[in-house]
Amino acid sequence: MRKTLTGLLATAMTVALGTFALHAEPLAYPQKVVTLVTHSSPGGGSDVFLRELSKYLGKYIDATFVVENVQGGSGAKAVARVAAAPADGSVLYATTPTYIYTSLLSKPSATYKDLEPVVNLFADSEVIYTRADGPFETLKDVIEKAKKERGRWGAANPASLERQAAEQLKRAAGVNAAIVTHEGGGDMMLNVLNGTLDIGIGEIQELRSQIAAGKVRLLATFNPQRIPEKPDVPTVKESGYDVTLVKFRGLAGPKGLPENVTKIWDTAIKAVLDDPEYKKRYTEEVLVPNFIPHAQYPAFITNFADTTEAFLKETGAVK
Amino acid sequence: MTTFWDIVHLLTGTPLIPIAILGLTWGILGGALPGISASITMALVLPFTYTMDPAMAIALLACVYIGAEYGGSIPAILIRTPGTNSSAATVIDGYEMNRQGRAGEALGISLMSGVVGSLFGLVMLALLTEPLSWLALAFKPTSYFALGILGLSVIASMGGDSLLKGLAAAVIGLMIATVGTDPISGVTRFTFDVPDLLGGVEPVVVMVGLFALTELMSQSGSTSVTQLGNSIRIRLPGWEMMRRLRRSQIIGCILGLFEGLTPGGGGSVAAFMSYNEARRWSKTPEKFGKGSEEGIAAPETANNTVASTALIPLLSFGIPSSNSTAVLLGGLLMHGLLPGPRLFEQNPQVIDSLYVGSLIAIIAQIGIGVIILPACVWLVNRPRPYRSGFIFALILSGLYTLNNSSFDLGLALALGLVGYFMRIARFPVLPMILGVVLGHMVESSYRRSLVLSGGDFHIFVEDPIAFGLLGAALFFIAFSLAREYRDARRTKLQEAHQ
Repeated sequence: MRKTLTGLLATAMTVALGTFALHAEPLAYPQKVVTLVTHSSPGGGSDVFLRELSKYLGKYIDATFVVENVQGGSGAKAVARVAAAPADGSVLYATTPTYIYTSLLSKPSATYKDLEPVVNLFADSEVIYTRADGPFETLKDVIEKAKKERGRWGAANPASLERQAAEQLKRAAGVNAAIVTHEGGGDMMLNVLNGTLDIGIGEIQELRSQIAAGKVRLLATFNPQRIPEKPDVPTVKESGYDVTLVKFRGLAGPKGLPENVTKIWDTAIKAVLDDPEYKKRYTEEVLVPNFIPHAQYPAFITNFADTTEAFLKETGAVK
Repeated sequence: MTTFWDIVHLLTGTPLIPIAILGLTWGILGGALPGISASITMALVLPFTYTMDPAMAIALLACVYIGAEYGGSIPAILIRTPGTNSSAATVIDGYEMNRQGRAGEALGISLMSGVVGSLFGLVMLALLTEPLSWLALAFKPTSYFALGILGLSVIASMGGDSLLKGLAAAVIGLMIATVGTDPISGVTRFTFDVPDLLGGVEPVVVMVGLFALTELMSQSGSTSVTQLGNSIRIRLPGWEMMRRLRRSQIIGCILGLFEGLTPGGGGSVAAFMSYNEARRWSKTPEKFGKGSEEGIAAPETANNTVASTALIPLLSFGIPSSNSTAVLLGGLLMHGLLPGPRLFEQNPQVIDSLYVGSLIAIIAQIGIGVIILPACVWLVNRPRPYRSGFIFALILSGLYTLNNSSFDLGLALALGLVGYFMRIARFPVLPMILGVVLGHMVESSYRRSLVLSGGDFHIFVEDPIAFGLLGAALFFIAFSLAREYRDARRTKLQEAHQ
């Protein structure tokens, strides 16, 4: 029931928005209706991402976009749903590192290998932060403390990119910090604010209000480049520790998508990312556009999956 | 600063009143359908709020939450099936009163206790959000562990005829809570390579299985089932009754406030703990479990209080303390509203309509409740074969909407069977449910604490909150054991005299 309701509404919205955006010439598309599948619940990260995106996609691709939430199994179900769909561009999946982790940690019937990465849109910023009234001014201070006594570092989720970031930083700095995993960034933020943890590693999106209120201080970002919106925050690499990570957000489809479909997405996504209205929206969310075209995206995903698998084997999460 | 005219404008210039009443009604219906939790009821209306004015959208979601927390008690009392997780404690005395032909009275008590809790929670939210948010900050992993242990200490006095059986049931519950992804290392445990088990077993699946399906099974096995009187009328408690319920309602308010502030527990923990505290402090503890009015008032006040107080950490830190507040957070983010201290300065109209809308919903709850309840009673009074079939279809379809998963259905059916055998062997199911509800919190915060301390157990006594809570748990366990010993000796003495 939920699916139908959400679907109906999304359709209604896309139609409404499509009518006053007719001035641009949308690209012809072989499918009339495109279902965008996410494993996230209504209101969750990927759900918000897809719904925002679908508002603007209609301007550039001549189709109706419907968002479908296929929850459960930490993304395993959504991947299975997309892998079994016809490879004609009618069903796409919102990728995040989650689907790689789930593929590696459990043995679902369909894994990331059964999907074809189409194109990437964004890099979410993974950042290191501390409480504003705490003793740490720079990342170096944190590392110094961890060298002298045992540091206490928080990671937002157990088997996740945040944990991986923490472990890699620990190794790069050669310190022995306790890495405390949580269930979600909010849970961890309380423990950073109340002084239980020296630092937290999480997504900048979850911290925006505390940054605005001056309660937390950003120490570094794991992104390869500085975040355009926060030019004062150095990268981890600049701070002297050779760790870079990219939390990606893109689209994938069933294996064997025809070339005319992937070409349309390449063109359309590039245009959508330049759309001034959309740009304003995602800049507010501190999302950094990171366009990776279809020609390079599969290699990017495979590389990410290989690095992740090596990390999970090292930490003993998978054999 | 909000002026009197701002509120007048909210009431007359915006659709706040109809929105609050619609939201409340939808919430009550969603909460009353077993398997459809408060968070799902809210998620279902979320898409409709995309195009609404942000202030109205947030008020709508909050009213749905208030309604759902109340609605769950209706099937808990009428068909021994909690509509939402947090109404599980209401089943105990609510269904018992129903069996004694006092369903109308039970429904009235839960309605009015819900109103008391919601009002108290709203006042706390409106006046004390800032000073209270420090309490949410004061809770460290060690404190959460101690809180969970205090919750589990309830089992000692919940065991029914045998403490041993109660403990055994609790251990099974704790075992179920370990299924899924390990909260610390991320390793998958006891999932048997079934992706559906990656996220663990949801408490609602366990509750539907153990309460509802078990009840349906044993009803179809027995020839005589008490039918509600057709002339049943909803009886709102009078002043005299409200005075008698005051003590348990105060307990419910305090624990509801406390649980709402601290992320993790949510309404179900608040309800169970206040049920137990109400019994501990009651003048007639022996009536608990046998149809005590206080046994309904305490958990119903508590879970309705949580519906408002859980917004305190959400609005001040952006931290959702339950699935329901996570949906509300999604709603805020979707409208570009960032929870946090600045929300109050930058979007006062959102805060105003949230408060005023909630108040309208709470007042309307009395009226809507009185209208909806007779219809529910009528439904439950249909001939048994139709009724059982209807309930069976209802709870399974509700459960299916949880994750769109037929696996959950199979799991609930299997648990129903387990519950059936537990009932035959006289094992209490409540400790098992408590184990499932609290197990995850206890385990993850225990291990998180030890990672922090590097394996040093002193960390639990260094945190004064944890120390106090653990001490209280120890005291209560010792107290129940002493009482059990004294009762056992008394029975023996009496037997010897005869």
